[in-house]
Amino acid sequence: MEKDETIEIRWHGRGGQGAVTSAELLALAAINEGKFAQAFPSFGPERRGAPVLAFNRISNVGHIRVRAAVTNPDVVVVLDPGLIYITDVTSGLKQDGIVVVNTPKSLADIKSELSGPWKLAVVNATVIAREALGIPIVNTAMLGALLKATEILGLESLVEPIKERFGPRAKNNIDACHRAYEETLMAELSVVGQGPRKAFETERLLSWQELLPGCVVIEAGNAKQYRTGDWKSQHPVWDQQRCIKCGICSLFCPEGCIGQNKEGDFEANMYYCKGCGICARECWTEAITMVEET
Amino acid sequence: MESLAIYAPRLVTTKEYLASGHRACSGCGEVLAVRLTCKALGRNVIIVNATGCMEIVSSQLPYTSWEVPWIHTLFENTAAVASGIEAGIKVLSRKGGYSQKTKVVAMAGDGGTMDIGLQALSGALERGHNFIYICYDNEAYMNTGIQRSSATPFGASTTTSPAGKISIGQTSWKKNMPAIAAAHDIPYVATACTSYPFDLMNKVKKAMKVEGPAYIHVLSVCPTGWRLPSDLTIKAGRLAVETGVFPLYEIEAGKYTLNFDFPQLRPVEDYLKLQGRFRHLSKEVVAQIQERVKAEYAKLKRKVIQGS
Repeated sequence: MEKDETIEIRWHGRGGQGAVTSAELLALAAINEGKFAQAFPSFGPERRGAPVLAFNRISNVGHIRVRAAVTNPDVVVVLDPGLIYITDVTSGLKQDGIVVVNTPKSLADIKSELSGPWKLAVVNATVIAREALGIPIVNTAMLGALLKATEILGLESLVEPIKERFGPRAKNNIDACHRAYEETLMAELSVVGQGPRKAFETERLLSWQELLPGCVVIEAGNAKQYRTGDWKSQHPVWDQQRCIKCGICSLFCPEGCIGQNKEGDFEANMYYCKGCGICARECWTEAITMVEET
Repeated sequence: MESLAIYAPRLVTTKEYLASGHRACSGCGEVLAVRLTCKALGRNVIIVNATGCMEIVSSQLPYTSWEVPWIHTLFENTAAVASGIEAGIKVLSRKGGYSQKTKVVAMAGDGGTMDIGLQALSGALERGHNFIYICYDNEAYMNTGIQRSSATPFGASTTTSPAGKISIGQTSWKKNMPAIAAAHDIPYVATACTSYPFDLMNKVKKAMKVEGPAYIHVLSVCPTGWRLPSDLTIKAGRLAVETGVFPLYEIEAGKYTLNFDFPQLRPVEDYLKLQGRFRHLSKEVVAQIQERVKAEYAKLKRKVIQGS
C-alpha cells in the first residue's frame, strides 16, 4: 500500500458465503496495523443464496469521511465462481484495478472470459475451504488471496481478528487463509478480449420511471419474471432410470419449480431453482443428485 | 408404476397460487408451507398477510408472487383486518352485492401471532368471525435477523438470546399457542408441519369447511435461523414430530385427536444435534428438554384419551 492513499474494495458474494464477515475481518486487521478502515454490507431483502455486496475502505492518511457505497473500487473480490456470469463484477473498476476471483477454472480459461485494463488473481478457494474447513465457506480463503494480490496488509495482521471471530474454528480458517495466499496466481488481463464476453443473462428489471402511479402492480403473480436461478451454487440432476415418478420432489420444492415434462419425467426449472437440495435429500430412490454449478 | 398408492402428482393440483420467483432463502420451509396451504385453499380466498418473511419475499415492488387476492397488514392487526373483511363480505352478501362464499385467511409468523398480534387474534377468535388463522412458526423473528420470540424453544441461541459462557440461550419455554387458541372454544384448532404435506393440506381443507374461526399452527423450518443445511429442512421437521417436540394434533369442537402417534418417541437429541442453534447445549440441558417434552407429550395424550 502506497503512503498517502485510500484503497476501496468491493466484495461480491452470495448471502451466507461470508462476504460481510470478510470485509469486517479485513477492516479489523487494518485497524490493528494502525490504519483507518471501514467495512459495511449492502443488500436488499434478498435471502441466503442471493448476490450481495460488501465494501471496504482502508486508508493510512486519516479519517475516512465518505460513507457511501463503493462504486469505483480499486479491487474487486468475487467469492462465488458463478457471479462473474450474472453480474458485472468489474463495473466501475479503476484503471489498473485488480480482480480477485474464486474459480475452479484455470488461469488461461478465466482470462478468455474477462477482459479489460486490469490485473487478475485467481484461486480455487472452494476446494481450499472444503479441505481446510469441511464446508464451502470461502471468506477466509479469499482474504488470503486478496492480500497476496494487493499486499495492502500483512497476512499476520489477520490472525488476531480471525481468532477473535471464530474461536475454536480459528485455526482451520487461518490455514485456509494461508493456503489461499500461497496458491493464488496472478496475471495481466488484456484489453482486447480474446473471446466474446459472456452476455449477462439476468432479466431486465423495471426502472422507477416504468412503475405505475401509487406503485400499483396490475399483474398477479408477475414475480415469475424474477430470476432466482442465479442464487444457486448447485443444481439437481435426475437419474430417470431410478425415478419411480412418485412426485415427492415436486411436492417438497419450496420454489414450486419441479414439474413433469411431456415424457412424464420430472425436472426442475433452472430459472427459479435455488439449489437448496431438498429434492435430492427427500427422494426415496436417490434418483436425484446435486451437481456443483460451473 | 401406475398402481402406486401414493402418487403425489395425481393427489395434488399442479396449479400454483404462489408464483415462483419469490425471494425466500433457499430451502425455506415457511414458503413451502405457504405454497402447500395455497394449493389446498384454492382460488376463492382473500389472504391477509402480516408483516414478516412471507410478506417481504413475496411482494417486492414491482413484483408479486400472489395469484389470489392478498392484503398486507401490520404485525399487530392481522386478525382485526381479517375480521373486517369477513364482516364486509357478510354485509355485502346480505345486501345482495356479493354472492360468493369467499374464505378469509389470515397468515402471520410466530412473532405476529404469539407476541405482537395476540390481542387482535384473541378478539377475532372470541367474536367468532368465520375465518382461518394460520401461524407459520419458525421460532424467532427471522426476517430481521433471528431475534427471540415467545415461540423460541428453551436453549436455542438467537441474536437476542445468545449462548455463551453463562447463558444457555433462550431461558423460557415455548409458548403453547394452540392451547391459547383452543381456550377460546373455537370449532377447529390444529398443528401441522411441512414435512407432512398431506396432513397439512387436509387440515387446511378441514378448516375451510368449518363455520367460525379456525386456527392452524404450522411448524416451518428455517434453515437460516436454525443454523442447518438447507437440504435438511424436511428432515428437521420430521424429527420435530418424531421426537415429540412438536406433536401433530387436532382439536375439533374441544375433542383432541393425535394425528401421528408413535409407540416410542425418538430421543430429542436426534432433533437438537442437527441444528446449530442448539450446538452449545450440555447433556444436563438436553436431559431437561427431554423431560419437558415427555411431560408435555403425556399431558397431550391424556387429553386425547379423555377426549377433551
